[in-house]
Amino acid sequence: MPELGRAALVATLGLTLWALLAGAFAARTRRRRLALSAQNALLTAFGTTAVAAGVLVAAFVRDDFSFVTAANASSRDLPLRYAISAGWSSQAGSLLLWLLVLTGFSSAAVLLNRRTARDIVAWATPVLGGVGVFFAFLLVAVASPFETQAMPLDGRGLNPSLQNPYMMAHPPLLYLGFVGLTVPFAFAIGSLLARRTDERWIVTTRRWTLVAWTALGIGQLVGAKWAYEEVGWGGYFAWDPVENAALMPWLAATAYLHSVMIQEKRAMLKIWNVLLVIFAFSLSLFGTFLTRSGILSSIHSFTQSSIGPWFLGFICLVVLGSLALVFARLPLLRARTKLESLVSREATFLYNNLLLVALTLTILWGVAYPILTEAVRGEAVTLGRPYYDFFLRIFGLPLLLLMGIGPLVAWRRASVRSLLLTFAWPLGAAVGVGLILLALGAGSSIPGLIAYSFSAFVLGTIALEFVRGTRARRSLAGGSWPRAFSDLVARNRRRYGGYVVHAAIVLLAIGVAGSSAYDTVSEGRLARGQTLAAGDYRLTYRALEERPAANATEVRAVLDVRRGADELGSVEAGKNAYTAERQVSNEVGIRSDLVTGEDLFVIAEQVNPDGSVYFRVFVKPLVNLIWLAGLVFLLGSLIALWPDAREQRRLATRYAAAGIPARR
Amino acid sequence: MARKRNPARLVIALSVAAALAIFLLYASVAGGGTPSLAPSELDGRTGRVALAGKVVGRVTGDAHAGGLRFVLRDVKGTSTVPVVYEGSVPDLFRVGRDVHVEGSLRNGTFVAVPDTLVTKCPSKYAPEKNAS
Repeated sequence: MPELGRAALVATLGLTLWALLAGAFAARTRRRRLALSAQNALLTAFGTTAVAAGVLVAAFVRDDFSFVTAANASSRDLPLRYAISAGWSSQAGSLLLWLLVLTGFSSAAVLLNRRTARDIVAWATPVLGGVGVFFAFLLVAVASPFETQAMPLDGRGLNPSLQNPYMMAHPPLLYLGFVGLTVPFAFAIGSLLARRTDERWIVTTRRWTLVAWTALGIGQLVGAKWAYEEVGWGGYFAWDPVENAALMPWLAATAYLHSVMIQEKRAMLKIWNVLLVIFAFSLSLFGTFLTRSGILSSIHSFTQSSIGPWFLGFICLVVLGSLALVFARLPLLRARTKLESLVSREATFLYNNLLLVALTLTILWGVAYPILTEAVRGEAVTLGRPYYDFFLRIFGLPLLLLMGIGPLVAWRRASVRSLLLTFAWPLGAAVGVGLILLALGAGSSIPGLIAYSFSAFVLGTIALEFVRGTRARRSLAGGSWPRAFSDLVARNRRRYGGYVVHAAIVLLAIGVAGSSAYDTVSEGRLARGQTLAAGDYRLTYRALEERPAANATEVRAVLDVRRGADELGSVEAGKNAYTAERQVSNEVGIRSDLVTGEDLFVIAEQVNPDGSVYFRVFVKPLVNLIWLAGLVFLLGSLIALWPDAREQRRLATRYAAAGIPARR
Repeated sequence: MARKRNPARLVIALSVAAALAIFLLYASVAGGGTPSLAPSELDGRTGRVALAGKVVGRVTGDAHAGGLRFVLRDVKGTSTVPVVYEGSVPDLFRVGRDVHVEGSLRNGTFVAVPDTLVTKCPSKYAPEKNAS
């Protein structure tokens, strides 16, 4: 079996190499049959990678611990679902997942576009092939997932904190996002290489970028949920480099998604867009590098890691190569239109972009800071929470505000007076909400208060947009209100899908501000029968239970919860002792109030031999809005992604009019 | 505002100015980072630092009553320093693990800031190769 896996990977390396070399030669000399052959090599590479992935998954499923990868991350009594997900918890396994998603996406992108955008695909193929060569080479020569050993009696087991359903979904979603950004990158580079200066590559890859961006966003929320429930320190995001690794490409892709609209409408920002897509893709490589190379613990462990230097070299190659290409094509990328006014749709999008990129760069600086200081001064200096929180507020709050302003400002030029008229209602809502919250005592956190006022403003503008649009649609086409509403959304999926996503971001902001700025914590050591007050809850420690589970022993403290005179049932918090892994894992108790969105979060910090338990209890208002935001975000993305026949026809006529055949 | 000029230039100038202002504000509000040191590098340091080392010896005391006491040694080396710590203890904390804790040295003992103890992810992403 391992031979089959290895052979499949070698075949993948050969095929991607062919896609790179033959593809580049064919594109340069315009040989159509050779170009097709290179594209077919990419498609076949997906098949061979799938075989390799199948071999690895089979090893985990069959508990074949002669595979080193399986022995290191699984055990006989590990439930099947986790045995499968354990496959990508290892370094080599995750690289294989990268390659699998990459070849899958490449195949789909080539198949879907090779008739309609042939010249770009011809050049995108070698770029996709090149990225594939890198990962296939790592898997064949540097970090093979198919190393074998004499079969041990049992595996070392999967890290208990990874035995969680959210952790099954989190890595694949992030990888869909990371790898998904390869497609717009490859098409951008392909378009430059083919000397096309129109925005065809943007239109072609719009949905790819959206899919990648959505997967990355949802993946991060799933990760946050995992951290909240499983790591259990009372938070969901800690500015850990591993978390930042996924946040940075997402922010860059967010900037890109907005700025391409400017290029589509006004043919501006061409250079900026190419640079952004290069930036986003490099950050997704950098994210993989951060989490997989060991550079986080120290530079020294990085130089000892097998894949680290290779990764760094590849990132440098991508960045320098892409920048050199952009430089060479600069004359072709000059914009014919200019920014006309600082108060216009273009300008607000530009501000949004500057803020997003600034936020991304400060996070990048924070992540790189310990690495740089260790390299320069020999002493790693880490920038902690205050650094990130400061910049999140400085850049994030204006971004929140712009989300309300941007979509309503006219293109090209708007007058300040017309703006004030447009925004009268939302502005009133924002001031009203601010004053009410101030009266309720929310002034304890100024950033929280600002966030809530801005949120009210944005929700106000979004509601206004939907009401106005529906009203206009109804007076135009008649019919009932719901009919007019669904017509409105169906006819402008991008725009209204975008508004729904904006609403999700506002929900996220409300949830984050509520749970971080207005939470309360109390702690204490309780003997059985004693009571702890937390916020307006009262918790009574009733019993300590011990019970066996499939691969662990569970210890649980049971607490009865009361709020005022209401009995709210009980909450369990405790620890799991995992047998094969010989590790203990904290299992927190969470009681969610679905009406107010508030969580009561109980950690059994320490279980003492005398049966007393040291508890730490958080009351986190509005935290459930964060998870709700994920669902709304997904809904908005789906609306924006949904195939739109009208849009396709519009595009076809546009390209016909521009003299660029949509179909050759 | 002069219409004739290109507003894009104004945007660039304004953003550069804004960036500078923000950094000044940051420097005055939040201060610098925390240096990360090994036990052997602690000598003579006052002020808050992050200490990284391997847990050795015996772990005694109660993290929620009087403090947890343990000794940290250089990950690669022999220097040690006693640590007293209060607050939440990660699941993976035990003798032999690499940990990270913030605090300052007082009279030869490293007094930790509560709730800053973290274990360095030992096997989250790649198992360390002991052989190599």
